[in-house]
Amino acid sequence: MEGRADYVVKRTLFALLTVFVAVTINFLLFRALPGDAVSGLRCQHCTIQFKAALRHDLGLDKSKWEQYKIYLKQLAHGNLGLSDVSHQPVRGLLWDPLKNTLLMLTLGTVFSIVFGLLTGVVAAWRRGTWVDKGSLWTSLAFYSMPTQWLGLMIVYFVADRIGLPHGGIQSPDLGILGNPSTYDYWKDRLEHMILPALTLGLVLYGEYTLIVRSAMLETLGEDYVLTARAKGLSNFAIVRKHGLRNAMLPIVTLIALSLGFIVGGAITVEYVFDYPGIGLAIVDAIDKRDYTFLQGAFLLLTISVILFNFLADLLYFKLDPRVTT
Amino acid sequence: MSARRMLAAAALAAVLLAAGCGGSSGSSGGSGGVKQGGVFTIGTTNYIDTLNPFNYIEAEAVTAYLEVYPELVQLAPNLTSYEGSFATKWTHSADFKTYTYTLHSGAKWSDGKPLTSADVAWTANTIVKYQNDATAVLASSVAHVTTVDAPNPTTVVFHYDAPVDPNLVLSNIASLYILPEHIWGSHAGNQGKDLKAFRPENSLPLVSGGPFQITKYEKKGTTVFKPNPGWWGPKPHVEAVGLVYYTNSDSMIADLKSGQISAVDQVPYTAVNALKQSGGLAITPYKYGEFTNITWNSNPRKPQNRELLDPRVKKAMSMCVDRQQIISVIYDGQATLANQSVIGPFGINWQSPDDQKLQFNCDQANAMLDQLGYKRGANGIRVAPATTGKYAQPAHPMQYQIMVPGSLDFNGSREFSIVADGWSKLGIKVTQQAGGDSAQAYAIETDDNCDAAKSTGYAKFDIALWDWFSYTDPDFQLSVATKGQWCSWSDTGYDNPSYDQMYKQSGTLAGAKRLALVQQMDKLLSDQWIYTFLVNEKAISAAQPKWGGYHPELNGYNYGYMTEPYQK
Repeated sequence: MEGRADYVVKRTLFALLTVFVAVTINFLLFRALPGDAVSGLRCQHCTIQFKAALRHDLGLDKSKWEQYKIYLKQLAHGNLGLSDVSHQPVRGLLWDPLKNTLLMLTLGTVFSIVFGLLTGVVAAWRRGTWVDKGSLWTSLAFYSMPTQWLGLMIVYFVADRIGLPHGGIQSPDLGILGNPSTYDYWKDRLEHMILPALTLGLVLYGEYTLIVRSAMLETLGEDYVLTARAKGLSNFAIVRKHGLRNAMLPIVTLIALSLGFIVGGAITVEYVFDYPGIGLAIVDAIDKRDYTFLQGAFLLLTISVILFNFLADLLYFKLDPRVTT
Repeated sequence: MSARRMLAAAALAAVLLAAGCGGSSGSSGGSGGVKQGGVFTIGTTNYIDTLNPFNYIEAEAVTAYLEVYPELVQLAPNLTSYEGSFATKWTHSADFKTYTYTLHSGAKWSDGKPLTSADVAWTANTIVKYQNDATAVLASSVAHVTTVDAPNPTTVVFHYDAPVDPNLVLSNIASLYILPEHIWGSHAGNQGKDLKAFRPENSLPLVSGGPFQITKYEKKGTTVFKPNPGWWGPKPHVEAVGLVYYTNSDSMIADLKSGQISAVDQVPYTAVNALKQSGGLAITPYKYGEFTNITWNSNPRKPQNRELLDPRVKKAMSMCVDRQQIISVIYDGQATLANQSVIGPFGINWQSPDDQKLQFNCDQANAMLDQLGYKRGANGIRVAPATTGKYAQPAHPMQYQIMVPGSLDFNGSREFSIVADGWSKLGIKVTQQAGGDSAQAYAIETDDNCDAAKSTGYAKFDIALWDWFSYTDPDFQLSVATKGQWCSWSDTGYDNPSYDQMYKQSGTLAGAKRLALVQQMDKLLSDQWIYTFLVNEKAISAAQPKWGGYHPELNGYNYGYMTEPYQK
């Protein structure tokens, strides 16, 4: 029991330390870029006086150390600050793109997990057959495809043929002459979500299949599986109870990483499909040197990755108590 | 979108009327009948960042302001002169220090409240009052204005602290977006800072005094404009206009091809051929305000490669750039050769007739460099001789980096290849330096330690490929070469006190005197070769053929951009 408590405390402290280090690196990283939110402004009304006043308002005229202290102080109060560009609270600005991203990436990730698990298990069970070979080559092909390339191919060759939109999050004319019904609204949203989610899902599915197949092959070769066969257990029972359960450690790691990165969006997928998620918002913020927004977005991403890894650590403990040692 | 394109559109979109594309606000061209109604959707890769004109940065915001906030004057459809909008006529005093505008009578805001000279005076006086802080964004619209009076509901009088040229006054005043005092008046507290905090987009439909009301606003989605029933001017033909934002132009073009949107202002040059081949769309080139250049670091204190400060060297190098090849390869013919004038194609009437002329002639360029003493080394690369004095430099090969921003609207890498190919014939070697996005490219040009007061900065780059936008009034373009724009708009680091003095003087002259001084300044810059101007771009628009009256060149200049489209 003491070992378990130690384990949880250690993982928690490590997670908190990682968040702090990431916060500091995020702060420094963006300031290493040439220019800032003000120097990047190019408008006829952006006079030197205007820029000086703006730089003062945003606190960019303070030393980096001062800015860092202010940032930490705000963070301690749960305040992500005001955007350097729109002067709106970052917390609010993050919500819309995050919402869009979560919906789309969850769809893609769930597809890849379910499909990847299924094909991985079947391939391992049917090792050496045409089912295994077909599955292996297909998953390798999708895994090695650049996501943006696959997305472009889908835009150019698939979208029109199956009557789905090329990009965006809603039809250009939706709601122009009046508010759409809830059904029309969500149907339209879903239609716009399918292709980016599919692109992401296909690439991730390849990875899942390979990992699951490899982990399953390892466990299916163990003596206890042979014993299970000798005891006359059904194939399904052997795979479910003895194969898959024992292959779960690497699979849980992968799922935790995938879920953690959902919050970060999929920049290339969002760009190709013109999908206004958190990935595109980050690209836009980099272009405009919106440090505060970037800090907020990366903090969210960091916490999400760390949180899911932390949960995976706790799950390891449940799945295999030996990890405490 | 490049930074300068942002400026371009932000200040006044981007275009001159092409032959055959004419039209005027309130009149619909086209041979077919005009059908009322329908939804006209325009795809754009720029977004409206706010409906608050004290806070905007993005180009597309101006498109919206022109349709919902009245202006006294606007650029006429020929884009070379101004026409009345809320003002029906205007006069100025003999000393060019007082301008009086007569306004439409009986005008109303969309909420039924009267729209009068009091709204104009309140808007202008508020901007003047807080021009160094909260209203700095619109300060240029009232440059030199001291006070604005409203002696009666249809007359407004602007008083200036110095004589100001009528062309410059109209150019500035066209960006004065008149706001409803009964809405905005209560948001002018806290030393004007509350003006910036106000979010008119939070209570739609927006109270409008222009041809349209905004009924739906999505910053990075679709913004819907519906006709304002109280508008005094020519009624829009359409039931609604949707301005649809796209992050990337590929999606926008795909939606245009599939008929999901009605039109696109600017088709990327790389997509024009594919669109033509696919057919079914009206594709129209029109003259555009952007003109491309080779930017030369002209900071007199630059520490390295100082031979590039010599106008004769820059002229010789410019003579071996095949601009016709640039037009045919990069623009597919949709550009013209640029004059060597910083004022650009929109301000052609202000250009000096004595500006440098540029002929493509590598043989003559080689002879000029030989004559200047830049001999070829063993490897064929010319050598700049050692110099003495404060900025002494050792003999060194003439090899340089050319910075190419990644945010250009044309293929910068391809243009670099053409320039490099030409200069290799001169024994000058260049390599490409990636410029990154606009902010990074400017940072490379100006340096992080840029400080005009200390004359530091502009020390680490030699040459860049970029573009500028042209305006009908030359004031802004001429300002770019002043020391006052160091670390801001200056991308050359040019520092000439005599020129700065001339610029200052030009702001207090009007009429023929101003024209003469402007031409003198233009000639001076042309002789110094702080830029080598390459081509004047044309833009390409595309629209579904069932739509007429679509004039993309009016975007940001004239409310006719949205009032004129109609279904055939």
